[in-house]
Amino acid sequence: MNIWAYIIRRLLYVIPVLLGVCLIIFVLFNLVSPDPTLIMLGKHASVSQMEDLRRELGLDRPWFLQYLDVVKSAFTFDFGRSWSTKQEIIEMIKAGAIPSLTLSIPAFVISTFLSISISLFVAFFRGTILDRTIVFLCVTMMSISSLAYILFGQWFFAFKLGLFEISGYEFGFPYFIPYVILPVLIWVMLGIGPDVRFYRTIILDEIYQDYVRTARAKGLSENKIMFKHVLKNAMIPIITYVIIQIPFLILGALLLETFFSIPGLGGIVLSAINSSDFPVVKAMTILISVAYIIFSVLTDVMYTLVDPRVRLK
Amino acid sequence: MSETKTQKSKSLWQHAFSELTRDKLAMLCLTVVIVYAISAIASALGFIGADWAKEVGPSYAPPSGDHIFGLDIFGRSVFDKMVKGTEVAMSIGLVTALISMVIGVTLGATAGYFGGKIDEFIVWFYTTFTSIPYIMLLVAITFILGKGLVAIYLALGLTSWVGLCRLIRGEVIRHKDREYVHAAAAIGGGDFRKLFLHILPNVLHIVIINFSLQFQTAIKAEVILSFLGLGVQGRPSWGTMIDDAKLELARGVWWQLAAATLAMWIVVLSLNILGDALRDALDPKLKGK
Amino acid sequence: MKKIKIFQTLIIGLLLATVVSCTKKTASNESVLNLAVSSKVKGMDPIYSNDRYSSNEVARVYEGLLEYHYLKRPYTLKPNLADGMPTVSADGLTYTFQIKKGVMFHDDAAFTNGKGRELVAEDFVYSIKRLADPKLQGLGYWLLDGKIIGLDEWRAKYAELPKADYTDEVAGLKATGKYTLQFKLKKSFPQFLYSLAMPFTFAVAKEVVEKYGEEFLNHPVGTGPFLLPRFEQSNKITYTKNKAFREKKYPCDGSPELKAQGYMADCGKILPLTDKIVVNIIVESQPRWLNFQKGKVEYISVPKDNFEAAIPDAKNLDPKFVEKGVRLSVTPSLDVTYTAYNHDKKLFNNVKLRQAMSLAYNVEESNKLFYNNTAMPAQSVVPPGIAGHIPNYKNPYRGSGTPANIEAAKKLLAEAGYPNGEGLPEISYDCPSSTTSRQTGEFFKKQMAQIGIKINVITNPWPELQKKITNRNVDLYGIAWGADYPDAENFLQLLYGPNRSPGANGSGYNNPEFNKLFASSATMQDSPERTALYEKMYRIAAEEMPWIYGVHRQSYTVVNGWLKNYMSTDFEAGQGSYLRIDLDQKKKLLEKF
Repeated sequence: MNIWAYIIRRLLYVIPVLLGVCLIIFVLFNLVSPDPTLIMLGKHASVSQMEDLRRELGLDRPWFLQYLDVVKSAFTFDFGRSWSTKQEIIEMIKAGAIPSLTLSIPAFVISTFLSISISLFVAFFRGTILDRTIVFLCVTMMSISSLAYILFGQWFFAFKLGLFEISGYEFGFPYFIPYVILPVLIWVMLGIGPDVRFYRTIILDEIYQDYVRTARAKGLSENKIMFKHVLKNAMIPIITYVIIQIPFLILGALLLETFFSIPGLGGIVLSAINSSDFPVVKAMTILISVAYIIFSVLTDVMYTLVDPRVRLK
Repeated sequence: MSETKTQKSKSLWQHAFSELTRDKLAMLCLTVVIVYAISAIASALGFIGADWAKEVGPSYAPPSGDHIFGLDIFGRSVFDKMVKGTEVAMSIGLVTALISMVIGVTLGATAGYFGGKIDEFIVWFYTTFTSIPYIMLLVAITFILGKGLVAIYLALGLTSWVGLCRLIRGEVIRHKDREYVHAAAAIGGGDFRKLFLHILPNVLHIVIINFSLQFQTAIKAEVILSFLGLGVQGRPSWGTMIDDAKLELARGVWWQLAAATLAMWIVVLSLNILGDALRDALDPKLKGK
Repeated sequence: MKKIKIFQTLIIGLLLATVVSCTKKTASNESVLNLAVSSKVKGMDPIYSNDRYSSNEVARVYEGLLEYHYLKRPYTLKPNLADGMPTVSADGLTYTFQIKKGVMFHDDAAFTNGKGRELVAEDFVYSIKRLADPKLQGLGYWLLDGKIIGLDEWRAKYAELPKADYTDEVAGLKATGKYTLQFKLKKSFPQFLYSLAMPFTFAVAKEVVEKYGEEFLNHPVGTGPFLLPRFEQSNKITYTKNKAFREKKYPCDGSPELKAQGYMADCGKILPLTDKIVVNIIVESQPRWLNFQKGKVEYISVPKDNFEAAIPDAKNLDPKFVEKGVRLSVTPSLDVTYTAYNHDKKLFNNVKLRQAMSLAYNVEESNKLFYNNTAMPAQSVVPPGIAGHIPNYKNPYRGSGTPANIEAAKKLLAEAGYPNGEGLPEISYDCPSSTTSRQTGEFFKKQMAQIGIKINVITNPWPELQKKITNRNVDLYGIAWGADYPDAENFLQLLYGPNRSPGANGSGYNNPEFNKLFASSATMQDSPERTALYEKMYRIAAEEMPWIYGVHRQSYTVVNGWLKNYMSTDFEAGQGSYLRIDLDQKKKLLEKF
């Protein structure tokens, strides 16, 4: 099979996966989710009002038509309106994406860069006391609740020391910067523990491969092995892991956004969860799933073009 | 042929065992996990922590000689709550890891062994599943199943099997064309016999390593669920204790957060180190490093 | 090394950027009112403004016929867009309003030449029909349901048709002249005027609704004191002063006690008193509290867990706040918290059981734990401050944790047929899923355990809880009710049998005697006779214990010294235009922060 046939096949595979995602979402949110009409009508709802509304929303139609709606929305991004705010969902998402991304992209870049550097460093000193200490620190940082970081960081750095804004957000560059520095720092703190552990494992996996032993036997220096061979080979799983995380960045961070009043998608999702606003939760799920599928196909295709061996795996 | 194989695999396990027992830190961690497990069982049977709901002093009394972790809003001992919370945490870790293990191994082995359409279907299924953000899936499942421990077990278990499934599938594919499996077929082993007696023991190490990691991930996920108001009901858990702290910290009540964090930190750290040690001892790829 | 340098430069760069952008501030001579609200604002359409956060925002831009007098207590209605109070026919069924002349809508592209046109009586006819429009599912229709002649019929007629026809006349809702508006009621409805002060019935312009369609909720165009060209669902809403606002003045009359407190200093000044309102949405209490302490918002209600730090002796502010010029404003809220029984369950038809449970519940302790001892234990359904509440009434079945209470509760429980709780099933208690609600549930469970009743606490997301209540899927549930308008009827209706779920009576309590009293009081104007009926119902509701009463809360608000004329109220809508910022004082006080 040649490369192009493979790529086309891989691209076509998006279709069944997308249909599957829609099916799961449909089952979870349409078939078994609670009746929305009460959420929308509030404390003085009457039975006839609820029936009217159910008709307006098309909830009385056969299930496969409702499933088709879900599939359609995955292509058109027309998710309708929120039950609780009555806003156009795609508009809510567009508005929330910017603050979320201004928070998540810098945080992601910094924490990825830092954790890869640290894990390389650690892998270099594997088995020593330094390695163990850093693993110990990582796990400790992972076990402390993110809430503790947020509450303490906000109180100490923003309030006591007055270094950053306590909360809020301003649209446009560079006005958003003072508002996102502290949340970004906290995000980095939160992300570094699990990331270092993950990258360290990947790098160690490479170090224990046969070819490294061969290289060592050939008398290559440890530095050369690390940077020339190990890093080069470990980069494939690392880059895959990094790219695959990108779609989730749009979600921002549920807790950080709420505590710092950043009007991003994380906060939108959180309040949608709290108010059982299913169309919004559904839309976000579809959107991220679609992005995820596209990104994973892109990475696959990219590797196939760069290194045809990957395809054979 | 099959006899020599069993012998060989025995020696792998023996080797691993001796390596593990030599690692003092790993042994210490194992002891910690066992202590946690025993306290969880003891609290489930009512030997310890049964009095957690009793009012033993004034609301929000700080840590003192009598109550090393102080008291909560209702004057209950935070230490007792922490102990009682161990039961919830350990059961969530265990059940979730079991659920994800059963699903992951079954689907992974089936896909890898039978190949063809079955494989394609299972691969499609888990690709679809991973495409949906974990947190959304978790929320949706808890919404549907309602509240309570069972819902949490299922939600966490049902959302965490994909990684293992993928690994097992890969390993089984690698193993199924090996000589020993063909030999087993030659002496009349059926599919299930081959899969369970010959292939699975050879991928067991992956399962064990994964189990220890899944265990601690589940313990931490319970905290997230509690934030979202989807946590355990009617009994203390580390997640609800940390959730309480969200408000209490404002009045300087840090001990509930500290107690829950400490309890969680020790067990998560132990499981992590143990997981690493198991990996080092069991993963054949790492042999002879 | 190089890496570290890059990193250093990055951090220094970021910090510099902070400093630079922090200098971007609004001009200091502009008076800006900075507010913090704790919940997302849904949108700016009056007919959907059913929570207090949305209705407060709606009322900055839109106005209604009537409003609450800013400086009168008890709450008193006064004309706003109406030119004087309405004339009422002898039978009390026809209300005729004159509309103020020369009131202009805000400028908007929806009007010819983009200039706002004059408000006329027909606008109210349109706005109220919109509230009744079955296609729009407005959330305030319950206010007028069954009240105005022809309106229910109009609504029913268009529920079946694809689109409501607003030109189809309704007999009870007519503009009889350009500035004359006439309502005809089906039966006497003394609370009718209150509904005209609620944002649900505020005036919108037909042109704007038609131009923006479904996007109308993002294009608020009213007659009010502030402008908001476009509403965006964000963490911040910025309003600017409506320069073309009609001449509306700060009142010169009011209750003597408010006058004594200096609330009349701005008498006769033209409203609004600020150039801008910035509403910051800060959901979590820590950042709200910290922002207040930094002087970034003018006032906030003291978060429950910061109470001790702010008001150590439960009466006076901590000196470190007083020094900064902060003052404390305490006002009772018109509300009641309660735990309702589901009266559909046979179990709870047992009065003795209900009384026993109430006696076992320690309301004093709950007040201490959850309200810092600032609330008032509720004796019955109506809160103090409105007619129908009996000031010194003591409910005999109200527990405060004394051994005598517990003994009495045990005795009642035995009389009910469940000595020591034997024979009782496990009873579930449903509540919202916030941390405090969950703790309230745990507290309830503990209280009931004292007399041997087993409670299972279930927390629910808010909509889920509402659904369970409506579907009668609960045993007990913990909830609160805040007044829609200052009339005991708004509380008593919660126990009126025919109002059962999905109406406001979620517990399904149905007592023929109570129902009869309620029905006869419902058509009576405010009078000693009506108050007597209210008090009778108050007593029935106390002795019958259809709910376990909780407390009537009080709002504790801390206010920065430079904010003038602020007082906390249950009907905040429209308050923004009366508030003033003393810029000089602000400058001086901020130096102490």
